[in-house]
Amino acid sequence: MTQTIANGARRIIALLMATSPFVFVAYPGAVAENNRGAQLAAMCASCHRLDGRDEGIPTIIGLDPKKLIETMEAFRSGKRVSQIMNVVARSLSTEEIAALAEYLAVQQRGSERP
Amino acid sequence: MNCWTRRQFGYLAGAACLTGLAPRVARSQAKSRVVVIGGGIGGATVARYLAAGAGMIEVTLVEPKLRYATCFFSSLYLAGMRSFESLTHGYETLAQRYGINVIHDAAATIDPVAKTVALKGGSKLPYDRLVLAPGIAFKFGAIEGYDQAATEIMPHAWIAGPQTELLRRQLESMEDGGLFLIVAPPNPFRCPPGPYERASLVAYYFKQFKPKSKILILDAKDSFFEQELFQDAWARHYPGMIEWLPRQFTGGIKSVDVKRLSVETVGETFKAAVVNFIPPQMAGELTQQAGLADQSGWCPIEPTSFESKLQPGIHIIGDAINSGEMPKSAFLANSQAKVCAFAIAAALTGSDRFAPHLFNTCFTFLAADDAVSDAIAFEPTEGTIKISEILISQVGEDAERRRQVVQAANGWYAAFTHDVFG
Repeated sequence: MTQTIANGARRIIALLMATSPFVFVAYPGAVAENNRGAQLAAMCASCHRLDGRDEGIPTIIGLDPKKLIETMEAFRSGKRVSQIMNVVARSLSTEEIAALAEYLAVQQRGSERP
Repeated sequence: MNCWTRRQFGYLAGAACLTGLAPRVARSQAKSRVVVIGGGIGGATVARYLAAGAGMIEVTLVEPKLRYATCFFSSLYLAGMRSFESLTHGYETLAQRYGINVIHDAAATIDPVAKTVALKGGSKLPYDRLVLAPGIAFKFGAIEGYDQAATEIMPHAWIAGPQTELLRRQLESMEDGGLFLIVAPPNPFRCPPGPYERASLVAYYFKQFKPKSKILILDAKDSFFEQELFQDAWARHYPGMIEWLPRQFTGGIKSVDVKRLSVETVGETFKAAVVNFIPPQMAGELTQQAGLADQSGWCPIEPTSFESKLQPGIHIIGDAINSGEMPKSAFLANSQAKVCAFAIAAALTGSDRFAPHLFNTCFTFLAADDAVSDAIAFEPTEGTIKISEILISQVGEDAERRRQVVQAANGWYAAFTHDVFG
């Protein structure tokens, strides 16, 4: 039953995407997801504002995911030195960093969760 | 319904909105109810993250105060470096933007069988899950002469608010050459570097305005967090101004005399111009009455969900928990709140859960342009929570690096309070 409803929902979305891409693009800001990237990003939000504002700690949204992954790798190896980021990067798996980079990359200014 | 993932629901709700079906979906599903007691850092964060998203959970936040003052950064206010207003935060955004039902009342009793919370104002709130973020309470009576009434003469200023403002007034009216005495509590207590940061920042204030004054710390302990960093800073910035006496030197704190403004240790009595007495602590209001605290005075919890080990269906976060190797800090209350919110969302709505991550960073000011920090990652292991990674500032770092920490600290305060209160 559940699966059927979910599949039905996906079909509706597919239809909407085909007919009304602009409406769909606006959607992620309206209803937040709770996926792995979102849950990991919640942890980043303790220091980095996820609405794109920078009040002394750099923004991390809307970045090229490859660049963010490279940066996190540099923090993990110690090539880049930052007390906090070294600890955070060493605590995340490669898969977690990838999920996080993917999530943060598509966040837009002002579209903060939820 | 219960086994949908939140994302699936989100897609459906989003799609339904666009096709005009939303009201039917909303009406046909009874939302799960979560009541959060306590609107401090942990409580406000958990409410926000539960309310975020697809709106499948109805969140009620119970907090008597209209505005919350942060304990962290409050010693900057004591030193005249920040306004009290800059430390206070309201609940309007949580109510208006996140749809949280904010009730300014205090919880009176919890009925874990009926799953209801009775408020002092008379109403009763039913819940599917309850979250307590009660912070700390003081063990009045643990030290002879220090009771609730004594706080008006010798403020603890360890729950920010009128107590902090009282201490500031006392410091301002103190004559140059006076002695400011801080009594530092036994472990575990809220904010391990806090009493020593307070000594540093009040010394910073004295150095400018009352340079003949002295600060004496009577400690219930024989050592403290980041001790080397503090003692190095005191020698560099305030030579001869701050004295720290460990328990092994004084024999421990015996009693206080509020009329004489004196503190008696086993070996000696110390009379001061201003006394900041930070009492021994335990888990905050309701936890003892509701059977959530054990004989340690703190609440034992499951390390991946923060559900009580003593009362299923009730979660506890923040300073009130028996937290393994986690210090009692606002940063961790926020970190725990997110892990707790995702665990509750998974239990109530079937949303996905992933390996929890818990981090702490404490920014500690030693002077206006000198701050240090620590960064710690924690992992739930063997039924408790242990440190997995740790980096702490070191003695001998150059002044530029310390200035950068000051800058990061100020940026962090803005981002962090935005994360908590919106």
